[in-house]
Amino acid sequence: MNFFAPFCIPFMVGAAVMAVALVLKYVLWIWHLPRADRKLLVSGIFTVQSIKAVGEVISESLLHRRIFKVNPLLGYMHASLAFGWFLLITVGWIETIAYLGFRYVPLQGHVFFKYFATCIAEHKPVFDFLMDLLLLIVLSGVALAWGKRLYSKAMGMRRTTKHVLGDRVALSALWFIFPARLVAESLTCAIYGGGGFLTGSISSFLAEHVSGSLLAALYEPSWWFYSSMLGIFFVALPFSRYMHIFTEIPLIFLRRYQLRPREKESSYDNFEIQACSRCGICLDPCQLQSELGINDVQSVYFLRDRRYNRLKLAVANNCLMCGRCEAKCPVGINLNSLRQNSRDTMRNIPDESRYGYLASLDRSQGEGRVGYFAGCMTLLTPRTLSAMERIFAAAGEDVWWADRNGGVCCGRPLKLSGETDSAKKMMRYNKELFYKHNITTLVTSCPICLRVFRDEYALRGIEVLHHSEYILRLMRQGRLKVDAAGGRFTYHDPCELGRGCGIYDQPRAVIEAVGELLEPKHTREDSLCCGASLANTVINDAQQLRIARSMSAEFEQTGASTVVTSCPLCKKTVARGSSLPVKDLSEVVAEHLA
Amino acid sequence: MKHVVVIGGGIAGMQSALSLKKRGFDVTVVEKSNRLGGKLLNWHCLFPSFTPATEVTDTLKQRIADSGVEVRLNAEVVEFDRHHVVLADGERIECDAVVLCSGFTLFDARIKEEYGYGIYDNVYTSVDIEAMLNKGRVELKNGGRPRRIAFLHCVGSRDEKVCQRHCSKVCCVTGVKQAIEMKQLFPEADVFNFYMDIRMFGPGYEEMYREAQQKYNIHFVRGRISEAAPTIDGRLQLKAEDTLTGRPLKISVDMLVLLVGMRSNDDNARFAEHSGLQCAPSGFMAPADMFLSNVASGVGGIFYAGAVTAPKSVGEVLNDGAAVAEAVTGYLG
Repeated sequence: MNFFAPFCIPFMVGAAVMAVALVLKYVLWIWHLPRADRKLLVSGIFTVQSIKAVGEVISESLLHRRIFKVNPLLGYMHASLAFGWFLLITVGWIETIAYLGFRYVPLQGHVFFKYFATCIAEHKPVFDFLMDLLLLIVLSGVALAWGKRLYSKAMGMRRTTKHVLGDRVALSALWFIFPARLVAESLTCAIYGGGGFLTGSISSFLAEHVSGSLLAALYEPSWWFYSSMLGIFFVALPFSRYMHIFTEIPLIFLRRYQLRPREKESSYDNFEIQACSRCGICLDPCQLQSELGINDVQSVYFLRDRRYNRLKLAVANNCLMCGRCEAKCPVGINLNSLRQNSRDTMRNIPDESRYGYLASLDRSQGEGRVGYFAGCMTLLTPRTLSAMERIFAAAGEDVWWADRNGGVCCGRPLKLSGETDSAKKMMRYNKELFYKHNITTLVTSCPICLRVFRDEYALRGIEVLHHSEYILRLMRQGRLKVDAAGGRFTYHDPCELGRGCGIYDQPRAVIEAVGELLEPKHTREDSLCCGASLANTVINDAQQLRIARSMSAEFEQTGASTVVTSCPLCKKTVARGSSLPVKDLSEVVAEHLA
Repeated sequence: MKHVVVIGGGIAGMQSALSLKKRGFDVTVVEKSNRLGGKLLNWHCLFPSFTPATEVTDTLKQRIADSGVEVRLNAEVVEFDRHHVVLADGERIECDAVVLCSGFTLFDARIKEEYGYGIYDNVYTSVDIEAMLNKGRVELKNGGRPRRIAFLHCVGSRDEKVCQRHCSKVCCVTGVKQAIEMKQLFPEADVFNFYMDIRMFGPGYEEMYREAQQKYNIHFVRGRISEAAPTIDGRLQLKAEDTLTGRPLKISVDMLVLLVGMRSNDDNARFAEHSGLQCAPSGFMAPADMFLSNVASGVGGIFYAGAVTAPKSVGEVLNDGAAVAEAVTGYLG
């Protein structure tokens, strides 16, 4: 059997271009990985992680389990396209073997088997049925994709991504591939007979109603069209969002080997950036979008701009880094880390002369194994500070006060703005200060400080606690007694504490020891940002306030009489937006000390 | 006889009622507290002449008593339109026109937590100082005499961070007045004023400002205080920036006075929604126009007088009272 026809050329060229582009990309990216990342890769390959990665590839790249969690219909759409197409290829392959036995068949022979197999008299109805079923499943996915363009709300998405021209070309080709295949195969069956419940029925309809000469005239062009659509899609794939189809696979493996985006941009970032399918699931959770109508800075657009080297600082900086989109990203891309290292690239200009004052500065007070770091924002909300003083006194704790009399910033605000090297100077200063005073526990009431102490300081021998954890521990140890005076409270999860450090339960346990806790509509992993995040240096005060007002409204709806939070910045911001009194967790505890 | 209800028994309400009565209207003043006089009752004396505030309030109250204006105390208004004023107890007062004289609300200094009001000793607001002057006892918490006093201007004014963008107009000159009063009480003390701009817009104000510097040696530092913190010896340490020299500064003081601004009443939005009135972005009621109808509301039969439309000085409020009577007369004929 001859497995070549001129119409195969677009497909063959497309497939070749795609293969070369993919191999080149992946080889170059791995080649340029930082030495430490390459080490991780080599030491990870022959471990159980690789097997786990295979499982994850099946559940995520093919079945799209995480998208099912966002919305079942959206999940079905992605799974039917990805897994359906995958099965179509696999079953097609088996079909070829079933007909021809084990022999070499070129790629186009598998893909256009129906075209080449017309000379085979014997039919295997099982495969006709299976192939038609799979085609139908994929077509249903395409139909849903069309539907999503018209009415995305049906799939739980209020907004969808605005695509660039290249993506639109690839998308159009993708949409035509399967209808084109259906037409080409049906025409073939109409002329030569055969076909399953789908192609077969369409072909008998065509044979009955369309003249034989017309069928013959349409026959070759239909295969040309199918092949061209495949070719266009394959050529566009490595340069469009469809790069994600293949890139998610190495990403899953690399992530299993513990590779992550680093402080500075690195080659590994390419895997994360090009694994973005621009599905747009990150659009709806974004409060800049929903409250302020800003629609060109969300993670999908940030990754796109960075990928095509047209990222602007104003886009990189216009993000609250609240982590709401990261929590929902079906590919699990480290969106905040990538944005942060972009900012580093664009903004890291260390000013050596500015930090001379750090040498020999020590304004700390007191002595104790427990250190307390208030942080700048707690110093600006002194009710929290005085509440902590009362709590420490009530528990009989000897405290070393790191910065009550003024101290040096934890470094996270500078880090968030991209000034990594300047931040490091402050971090080094604070770290040395903590070691110098021999503390074993470091308590802070600011989640912004907490995050950087935990993630970046590497404080060996010092346990870092948020005050909510510390207070709960004191209560459980019986060192701190509160009277359950009652009262109706609602709690705001600060982004840096909740999604940032995973602390949700401790503050709630503390509140419930005092009174009743009423949850707002968005809570825990899904909680809203107050809007005043230090990470955003673009939006103005009035815009921050609009976010604060809208998110605060949820607290009023709970029927609580007091809003409690455990971040000094959130407290200040929510207080601006809410008509209810807003208190730090420590204030509530200090007011109810037994 | 046409009946006009005046909402609010402060100086704006009293002057409006008197002017309306003089023009022959039947007038009722509705006041939610148990006495007439409003916020001025708590004031000691008035800039720039140091006239005792009681001279104004007592005179107006006496005139109201003599005029035959009906006064309803302990009567809070929940809603109104041009023909009705509804009180909290459900009573509806019929009328032909309404003059809204509900004034302003003082900015709550506790919101600017970084200044420590309500947290540290010896942090006061300008209102507290007037009350202390009225009692005749200005002293530190421990009964001592302050050796160093700082005034901070624009607390709750011109501050986006607390959603108060407008200028409260009278705090600058109040700060100068109170600084002079402090210096008179404690000649040995150093008195500092931390300001953004000094706005001396009225007659005699600039002269008083000059006198404060030349005669009383009061220090003026251009720059806002960023935070206050208690020191071990019970004083307050202030961090600020002197924006004229461009340097940060730290200073310990015995007393910090916050010159709190005037913000719009929370009621305004509700009244506006019910009666079809307009609020300015600042939350104060927006008059029909800024010039020729600045006591009219844009809704026929509803008028404004006093600080319900913007922060105003005592003199300006009293002028409004006379102007609104003219406007009501034009409306009711």
